[in-house]
Amino acid sequence: MSRVLSVSQAINEALTIAMETDPDVILLGEDVAGGGTRSGDDVEEAGGVLGTTKGLVTKFGPDRVLDTPISEMGLIGTAVGAAATGLRPVAELMFIDFLGTCLDPLLNQAAKLRYMFGGKVRVPLTVRTVTGAGMQAAAQHSQSLYWMTAGIPGLKTVIPSNAADAKGLLLAAIRDDDPVIFCEPKRILFQAGEVPEGDYEVPIGEAAVVREGSDVSLIGMGATVATALEAAELLAAEGKSAEVLDLRSLAPLDEDAILATLEKTGTVVVVDESTPRCGIASDVAALCVDRGFDFLNAPVKRVTAPHAPVPYNKALEDAYIPSVARVIEAVRECGI
Amino acid sequence: MDLTREELLEAYRTLRMIRAFEEKLNELVTAGKMGGFLHLYIGEEAVATGVCSHLGVRDWVASTHRGHGHCIAKGVDIRAMMAELFGRATGTSRGKGGSMHIADVQQGMLGANGIVGAGIPLATGAALSAKLKGTGGVAVAFFGDGATNQGQFHESLNMAANWKLPVVYVVENNGYGEFTPTDFVVPVKDIATRAGSYAMRSEIADGMDFFDVYEKAGEAIRRARAGEGPTLLECKTYRFAGHFVGDPLAYRAKEEAEDWIQNRDPLARFEGQVLEAALVEADDLRRIDHDVEEELAAAVVDAEAAPPPGLEELLTDVYARGES
Amino acid sequence: MTMEEGTVVEWPIAIGDSVVRGETVLIIETEKSEVEVEATASGVLRHVYVEPGETVPCATILGAITGTMDEPFDPDAFAAEHRGPQPAASVQPVPAVRPGAGAARSANQRAPGGHKAVAPVARALARKLGLDPEVVHGTGPGGRVTKQDVETHAEARERLVMVEDGIALEVLREGEGDPVLLLPGFGTDVSSFALQARVLAEHHAVVGVNPRGVGLSDAPDLPRYEVARSAADAASVLDAPAHIVGASLGAAVALELALSHPDRVRSLTLITPFVEATPRLLAVTRAWCRIAAQVDAEALALALAPWLFSEGLLADDTIRERTLRGLTASVAKVPAATLERTAAGITAWSGARRNDLGKIAAPCLVLAAGADLLTPHADTIAAAIPGANLIAFPGSGHALAIEVSGRVSEAIHSHVRRNTGLRIPDSIP
Repeated sequence: MSRVLSVSQAINEALTIAMETDPDVILLGEDVAGGGTRSGDDVEEAGGVLGTTKGLVTKFGPDRVLDTPISEMGLIGTAVGAAATGLRPVAELMFIDFLGTCLDPLLNQAAKLRYMFGGKVRVPLTVRTVTGAGMQAAAQHSQSLYWMTAGIPGLKTVIPSNAADAKGLLLAAIRDDDPVIFCEPKRILFQAGEVPEGDYEVPIGEAAVVREGSDVSLIGMGATVATALEAAELLAAEGKSAEVLDLRSLAPLDEDAILATLEKTGTVVVVDESTPRCGIASDVAALCVDRGFDFLNAPVKRVTAPHAPVPYNKALEDAYIPSVARVIEAVRECGI
Repeated sequence: MDLTREELLEAYRTLRMIRAFEEKLNELVTAGKMGGFLHLYIGEEAVATGVCSHLGVRDWVASTHRGHGHCIAKGVDIRAMMAELFGRATGTSRGKGGSMHIADVQQGMLGANGIVGAGIPLATGAALSAKLKGTGGVAVAFFGDGATNQGQFHESLNMAANWKLPVVYVVENNGYGEFTPTDFVVPVKDIATRAGSYAMRSEIADGMDFFDVYEKAGEAIRRARAGEGPTLLECKTYRFAGHFVGDPLAYRAKEEAEDWIQNRDPLARFEGQVLEAALVEADDLRRIDHDVEEELAAAVVDAEAAPPPGLEELLTDVYARGES
Repeated sequence: MTMEEGTVVEWPIAIGDSVVRGETVLIIETEKSEVEVEATASGVLRHVYVEPGETVPCATILGAITGTMDEPFDPDAFAAEHRGPQPAASVQPVPAVRPGAGAARSANQRAPGGHKAVAPVARALARKLGLDPEVVHGTGPGGRVTKQDVETHAEARERLVMVEDGIALEVLREGEGDPVLLLPGFGTDVSSFALQARVLAEHHAVVGVNPRGVGLSDAPDLPRYEVARSAADAASVLDAPAHIVGASLGAAVALELALSHPDRVRSLTLITPFVEATPRLLAVTRAWCRIAAQVDAEALALALAPWLFSEGLLADDTIRERTLRGLTASVAKVPAATLERTAAGITAWSGARRNDLGKIAAPCLVLAAGADLLTPHADTIAAAIPGANLIAFPGSGHALAIEVSGRVSEAIHSHVRRNTGLRIPDSIP
C-alpha cells in the first residue's frame, strides 16, 4: 500500500519509524522541536524552519527531540560524541551552506574516528540538511555543497529525488553505522509522490535507473533527476531514447551503475546543480573516462551551475539552475 | 583525605607511569625510533591523575593532542599505547592513529585529538548519551587554555549548562597556547570565570597538586553524576617540556621553567606529601618506580617486535559498512 | 549516403531578415542527423515554401532569398525558374554544429596532429573488428567517427568482393536484371553515378565498382594502378557479361575491358573518354594529386570545379553549391596516395590503345561534352570505333554525368535497352 506524500512528509514518517523502532535515535538541531516543548493554547510547535519535524516532539518528548542553540559546531560536535558513545543521533544542519560553521566535527571527527581508532568505534550519525537553489534564498542559503561531504572519506552522502526514496534512504541512513549526510533538495521538498507504507530502506550506494533508454544516459541527483526526466520526455518526442540514472548516493558512488549505463548508450550527460569545479559531475565524467573509456561514443557532458554564487533575482536564479534546455543542448553536442 | 594506602600507591603509580612513559618517548624520538608529532605531558601529570582517579569504565574522557597522560590515567593499556606509537598492528588503533589519536572506547577513552577544542563537544555528546541512556556515567573533557578561545568550547558549555549534562570540563592552563603565553591572547585572569557566561559552576585547582585536583574534580564529578550539571574546572599547571618534541623553547625564559621544574614538580610534591603524612613508605614508591621502568622497557621490546599493519589496513575501517 | 528526403526543423530567421551568404538559414533533419543549411546568396529571406515539420523529397525548393524586399517577386515563377536538375552526386549533410560545441573543424578533417577524431568506443570496436578507425567516414559532431559509423563501415566491408591476390574491392549493387557496370572517373567514387544508378536500377542489376584505393576498396602499395589491371578487376567482379559504362578514366578502363575481355562486354558507354591524355589533362591530374595531399576535400572540390564543369553551371549559385557538396563527398573517398598511383597508371596507359579502337566489337555509345577542357577528343574516338554512336552535349563540361545527369541517364538507358534482349520500356519515367 502506498499513499501520496510530500518529500517533507516522507522524511517526517521515516523519522517517526526510526524513533519508534530504536530508542537510541534522537533528533537535535535548531528549531527541530520548535516551541513544542512549551505548553499553551496559542503555542504550536514549528518542527523546524520548513516544518519537516513537526509533531515529533509531541510524540517522543523533549529528551529525544532537542532544540539546540544556534551553534552548528557545538551541536554537530555533540552529535558526533553522542554517536560514538551509544546514541544514534539525527542532527539537523538547517542548510548545507552552514557547513562552514561546523566542518571540523564532520571532517576531522565523525569521518575519521573509526579509522583513527583502528575500527574500534562506530559513529552512527545522520546529518539532515537542506540543499540547493530554487527559493530565492540567495548565496548563503542555496548551495549544493554535497560535493564537499562526498569528497571526505569516512562520510557517506545521499540525496533523494522523490518522496519514496527520501523515506527509504533516510531510514537506511539512520540505521547505518557510519556518518551519513542526508541532503534534502529544496526544490523537491514539497513535491508529492507515492510513498509505500511501513518500514523499508533504500540501500545506500545504489543508484536507480528511473527511465530506460538506449541513445544517451542522463545522470542526475536530487532535484536534477526531474530535469533529466523532463529532457528525456522531450527527446522521446524526437524519437531519441534517453536513459535516466538517479545517483541517490553520492558517496559511496554506484560506479557499476554509471559504467553500465555508459556501456549501454555510449553517451553520458551529468546534470548536477552544484558548481562545476571538483564536483559530482566532474567525478562522474572522470569515472567514465577512467574506467569506461572504451564505451565512450561522445564527450561526457556536464550540465552544472556556473562557477558563481547563487543569485537572489528569480530570473538569475532560474538561469543558474541547470535547465531542461541546457540538458537538451548538451545532448545535441554529443551528436544525438 | 579519604584515599586508602592502595589508592595512594595507585595514584603514584599513574603519576610515575605518565612521567616515565613521556620520558621514554622523548628518548625514543631523539634516537630516531619513532615518527610523527609528539606532545609531552610532563609536568601536568597531577591533573589527569587527580581527575581520572574518580572515573570508571562507564565514564568517558575526551582528550587532546597532549593526550598520553589522560590515556594512561583512564586505564588504556600502555603496551598497546607503545605499540601504537611504534605504528604497529598491535597498537590501540592498529598503527593507524599514532600519538594524537590513541583511543580505547572500551575503556571510555574517546581519544586524543589533533584538533584543538574538538574533544569538548565529543565529551558533551558523550554526556548527552549517558544522560539519555541513564548509564550513570559522566564525561570529562580535558583541554588546554588555548582551546577555551575556540567556538567549540563556548558552544558546548552553553548547551551543556542549558541541558544540565553530566560533564566536567577540565582546562589544563599550562600558561602557553603552543608558543604564545596565555595572557597574550586571553583577557581574563582566570579561565574559570568564563563559566559565568553560562551560569555554570567553576573551580580553580592547583594543577601541580594531585590532592587539590583530586578533591575539586571529585566534587565536580559527584555533582555531574547527581544531575546537578556541569563544572568548568581550571587546573593551573605547567608544561615542563616544549609544545612538541623538538620545540627549541626559545619563547620562554629558562629561569621560569627551572622554577616550576625545581620547586613545583607534581611527583616530588606528591611524594613529599605522602611521606610527610606517613601514608606510604619511600620503599613502596621506589618499588613502583622500578616496576614502571620494567613495564615500560618490556612494552618497548614488545612493540618493536610487533608486526606492522598489513597494506590492506590502508582501506579497512574507513567505513563500518560498505566501502567507498 | 544518398539523402532522399528531409524534414524542415526550423527557420532560424524570419521573412524579411537579411542574410549573408554562408550564414545558416535553415535546419533540416535527415534520416540520421540535423543539418544546417547555409544561405547560397546574400539578401533577404523572401519566401518560405516549406514550413517546419514538413517532410519533402530532395531537390525541393524550401525558400527564396532575393536581393531586397522591394524587388518584384512571384513565388511560383521563382520556384519554376530555380527548379534545377537533380543533384548528381549524393548530398553530404553538414552536421549541425552549435555554438560552444567546440567542433570547429569540418567533417572528417583531421586534427593538427594528423589524427581524425574517433570516439573511444568506435576505436575499441574498430580494434575488435580489425579495422583502421581513421579510414571510417565520421558523421558525429566535427566529423567524429562514432560507434555507428564503424558499424556502418563494417557492414559496407561485408559487401567487398575479392578480385586477386587478396585484394578486396567495394562493390555496390542495386536492382535486378541484366548487369550494368559503372566505372567512375579519376579521383572520384561511384557516388558520382548516384543518379544514373538509381534510374538504371529500376530495370537492371547495377554494379558500381570503387577501384583500388577508393572508398573501402583495398589500396595495395604499388607504384602504379594500371588501367589494364583495373579492367581485369572489373571483369572479376562480374558474374556475367554486362553493359559497361565508364566516365573519363572509367571510360579508359571500359575501353581496355572491351579490348582485353570482350566476352564480358555486352555494350559499351564511354562518357568523355580519352585514349591519349592531353597535356592539360595530365597537368590537372598532377595538380589534383598535390592539392588533395594538402587541403581538405571541400577546398579540393573548389579547385577542381573550373576544370570539370561548364561556365553555365558555375554561374548558378544554387546548382554550383549543391554540385560542389556532392563532388566534395566523392573526392573525399580518394586519398592522395591512390591519386598518385592512379595518375601513374594513366601516364603509362596514355596512347597505348591509340591504334586498337577499330578492334572494338561491342555496340558503343560515346557521350561528348562540348565545353570539355580535359578530354576534348571524344568525337575522334567515336569515329574510330566501328558502329559507335556519338551524342554531344554542346555547352557541358567534362563531368557530364554530374552536369547533365538526367540526359546522361536517359542516353545510357536507351543504349542499354537497344542492346539487350529483354523488353523494357522505351523511356524512363
